[in-house]
Amino acid sequence: MRSMDRRTFLELAGIAGASTLLTEALPSVARADKPINFSGWVFKPDTVKDYVSFYNQKFTGQVKYEAIPWAQYHPTMETRAFAGEIVDVMYCNHNNRERWFESGLIRAVDDLPGVDELKRKMNPANLDSLKSKDGSKLLGLPYFTSLFVLMYNEPMLAQAGIKAPAKSWDELIDQCLKLKKDKVSDTPFLPNWNASPSGTMPQLMTDCFSEGAQVFDAKNQLIVDQEPGAARALERWQKVYKADLVNPEVLTKTSSTDTHRLMWTGRYAYHTNHSYYLKTIAGEPENSKLAPKKARMTMYPGTGQTYMWTDSYVLNAKTKVLEDAWKFTKFLGGNLNGDWYVQRQWCLISGLDNPYPEMYDHAEIIKSYDRWIDLALLRKQYEKGKVIAAYKEPWYGEYDTRAVPIVHDMIRGNTTVAKGLKDLVKLQKSLA
Amino acid sequence: MVPAAAPRSARLSEAAFAWGLVLPAVAAVVVVVFLPLLYSFWMSLADVNLLRTSGPALELFGVRVPLFRFVGVQNYVRVFSDPLYWSSLWRTAYFVAAFVAETALVGLAMALVLQERFAGRPVMRSLLLIPWSLSRVVVGLLWLGILDFEFGALNGLLDNLGVIDGHIAFFKNGFSALNVLVSVYMWNQAPFATLLFLAAMQSIPGELYMAAEVDGAGYWNRLRYVTLPAIRPIVFLVLVLATVNGFLMLDLIYILTMGGPGNDTTTISWLGFQTAFNFFKFGPGTAILYTLTALCLLLTLVYHRLILARFEPES
Repeated sequence: MRSMDRRTFLELAGIAGASTLLTEALPSVARADKPINFSGWVFKPDTVKDYVSFYNQKFTGQVKYEAIPWAQYHPTMETRAFAGEIVDVMYCNHNNRERWFESGLIRAVDDLPGVDELKRKMNPANLDSLKSKDGSKLLGLPYFTSLFVLMYNEPMLAQAGIKAPAKSWDELIDQCLKLKKDKVSDTPFLPNWNASPSGTMPQLMTDCFSEGAQVFDAKNQLIVDQEPGAARALERWQKVYKADLVNPEVLTKTSSTDTHRLMWTGRYAYHTNHSYYLKTIAGEPENSKLAPKKARMTMYPGTGQTYMWTDSYVLNAKTKVLEDAWKFTKFLGGNLNGDWYVQRQWCLISGLDNPYPEMYDHAEIIKSYDRWIDLALLRKQYEKGKVIAAYKEPWYGEYDTRAVPIVHDMIRGNTTVAKGLKDLVKLQKSLA
Repeated sequence: MVPAAAPRSARLSEAAFAWGLVLPAVAAVVVVVFLPLLYSFWMSLADVNLLRTSGPALELFGVRVPLFRFVGVQNYVRVFSDPLYWSSLWRTAYFVAAFVAETALVGLAMALVLQERFAGRPVMRSLLLIPWSLSRVVVGLLWLGILDFEFGALNGLLDNLGVIDGHIAFFKNGFSALNVLVSVYMWNQAPFATLLFLAAMQSIPGELYMAAEVDGAGYWNRLRYVTLPAIRPIVFLVLVLATVNGFLMLDLIYILTMGGPGNDTTTISWLGFQTAFNFFKFGPGTAILYTLTALCLLLTLVYHRLILARFEPES
């Protein structure tokens, strides 16, 4: 092997370093003038990196991507804005969008080219979700949409001689009691009662809707104490918990992701969670005992209505590269140059649902969904998706978190349903 | 020969030289410790909205530091009138008391064992540090893997041995979940206490033990009359560190319980974190956390009086 003396090594290292610096420093004629800073919470960051690389290559962009852990994502973006940093394009969940808009962190996108076409193509409920509280401004483009669905373990029901999944809550409880009694499952029911913002509270709204109850009135005031359907939903929750039909530790699971993984074991008969989780439960044999397609979805019992929400890509109000940032946002949340690349990829890779109905006419997407879900049924469930506007209120985030212990106390029977519902209303009023 | 007194200018320059030497360190402490402390205390007395960019501000090293609107003790009044604060405080008191007692006792017991001579002692001393060297997120995930109702290794083991009929739900009951948090945190922190106790024990002169043996003292009497009095300053240090760490513990709650079920594992630090970083109420959030600081200082004074004050005159 050829040896290298210290002088030669230093010379070569110097040349290499200088050439790297020069390459970075020299203006590239093919690239956009200024880089676009893009941040999102951690969800498949390698996939997002691939999207960014694809964009930078195809559109000669200079997007710099950074993934921030979910739990600290929104506070981090706020403290950065506070320090004067401008992140041009950001993820924003539905609970924080209005706050960010009213505080001047993000801008509306109504005046930007091509937005009217995207509005026309979007499902009206999702479009409504993305608008400002007064309904006059569009605050971003969709990252994904989702709703709660009911999944069931087909082999377990067959083993117990149950011919069809439950169509009503009473039937579901009867089936779970039978499964427990026959020792087919210790805890046949797995509701998404975890303590995170994606767990207990949206699950409660879903079950209230399925019982025909309203949760908020037209002025976004909580009215669960006046709704018999809300009381019915919570009494049912108390009943299944008391009868030991649910995993006793589901209340301390820290995320919906952790909760859905329990379903992988094949030890539960029914599970309620976000629709896209069925992709890993029924579509990933390497992880789940219920794949391929041993777990299925069925229409939500009762009215069939479930809670639906839309998370988004938003534009920084102080961006100095508005044209480029909007182009990149359209690449992520729309159809830049007629191509729904990122929207399509999220459907294919993660089963994230999409607010543009035309996505589901795509042969590739239909084939992909067929591997893990009955797409026609999912679309039917989407027709029953119900959005709320209360999350646009400044108090919503705190209410949503502080309400969880009250609901958990009702589930555990530490407080009566009537008192718990009154406490929820009292909490909301104290924050409004 | 008596040396001539140094001229006044030389003495002054010596003092100036000394100040010059310590000034960088003092400046670093002021910037890194005192300024953030003062600023966060100011936040606890202000109405803070991080997104509000208008209003008065200081310009420090090119960074705009908003001064926010002064609201006096309003944040503290709001915090003290919240029943959740008081229930969290009592829960925190239980958590800290149990954690400090467990850490001190287990740490001392392990130190006493490792002080004895036996084969494999060096390896044991090295292995001892592993729990302490792990990140708390890893510790949380590790114990979740051991204690989980569904996947937990402990439930699996006990089930396979036929010791239990059904799996144990360690996190179902709030009090049980709180005690799990205490024990897991103790597992993580006791090795450091052991290390401190061991270091103190090794500095005790062997003659004291020999003299005690001559006086007919057995193992327990040697422990009581020689070891414990000699390591008293370290006991003080361990108690102070364990108390402060106990009050501030947050990450295990985040990984294991999220403050639940209900509010049954919500401590003051978790409440402060939630208020500041989930509800974006940095004023009340820092006010909550400053009450913790006050409690830590108070307990440090109590420990000092109980343990060190009696020790110092003897020395």
